[in-house]
Amino acid sequence: MEYSNLRRQTIFMKKNLFDQGFLDEQFNQLEELQDESSPNFVEEVVDLFFKDSSRLLTNIEQAIDKYPQDFYRLDSLVHQFKGSGSSIGALRVKNECSVFKAHCNDRSLEGCRRSFQKIKREHATLKQKLESYFQLLRQVGPREHAVSSRK
Amino acid sequence: MRQSGSAIELKQLPRLSLMARKMIRVLLVEDEKIHRVVARAAAKAAGVNDDYVLDEAENGAAAVQRVREAAAPYDLILMDKQMPVLDGHEATRRIRAMGVTTPVVAVSSDVLPADVEAFISAGADDFTPKPLSKEKLGNILAKFGLA
Repeated sequence: MEYSNLRRQTIFMKKNLFDQGFLDEQFNQLEELQDESSPNFVEEVVDLFFKDSSRLLTNIEQAIDKYPQDFYRLDSLVHQFKGSGSSIGALRVKNECSVFKAHCNDRSLEGCRRSFQKIKREHATLKQKLESYFQLLRQVGPREHAVSSRK
Repeated sequence: MRQSGSAIELKQLPRLSLMARKMIRVLLVEDEKIHRVVARAAAKAAGVNDDYVLDEAENGAAAVQRVREAAAPYDLILMDKQMPVLDGHEATRRIRAMGVTTPVVAVSSDVLPADVEAFISAGADDFTPKPLSKEKLGNILAKFGLA
């Protein structure tokens, strides 16, 4: 049946996201919080993250290009970005933010620049993958939205 | 239909007990919307909507004001660290300086021992790493006798 196929695909897609290290357990925790009164909760939180993170990425880029560099502000912005990412279980994004923060601590601008490029790449990849995942989930229908599918 | 006195008393009893039951008041201090949304959902899942009132403050200064002006003391304060206007450390210090003994639980992404110690030194009673979850909140409520 079409529904079974779609459901299988969503499970497979989600498993891949975990296996490839894009997501961690926090994503499952978000799904646990989804219920009939808030059937799109996970997607709404993910949308919030990508809305916030776009703004933060712009601010980080501006802060990197500013002279003299304010590593304290840079660290603060990435800390916010990391925290936001951790809310949705964005593991790779979170890990790269930790690398960035280490470069801030070392006051290495070059390190920050390299790390920032990686953060942007991970962010873009995760966004694309989650958009595909939620698009598929919407095709499966409300039943799948309300039920948490464990890894 | 006229009811007997005892039936009316029995009917009134659950309503009276609901009114008499104290509502647990929790203050969530967090500047970022995404964390407030997740915390709200975690609080609802942990049962913080039925017998609990969840208030929110978007920075430490707003939190101090809420605590100062509260009609009844809060039973629990969940405090973020990094916030504009006034951060979580200073907000906790000022709340303690007011003589408030409400349990303060720091909720932060900074989880190094030095970060935890800094919050405890400021007057927090406990620390939990972000993000909040139903389980973490349930444990906190149980720890402070609020579950």
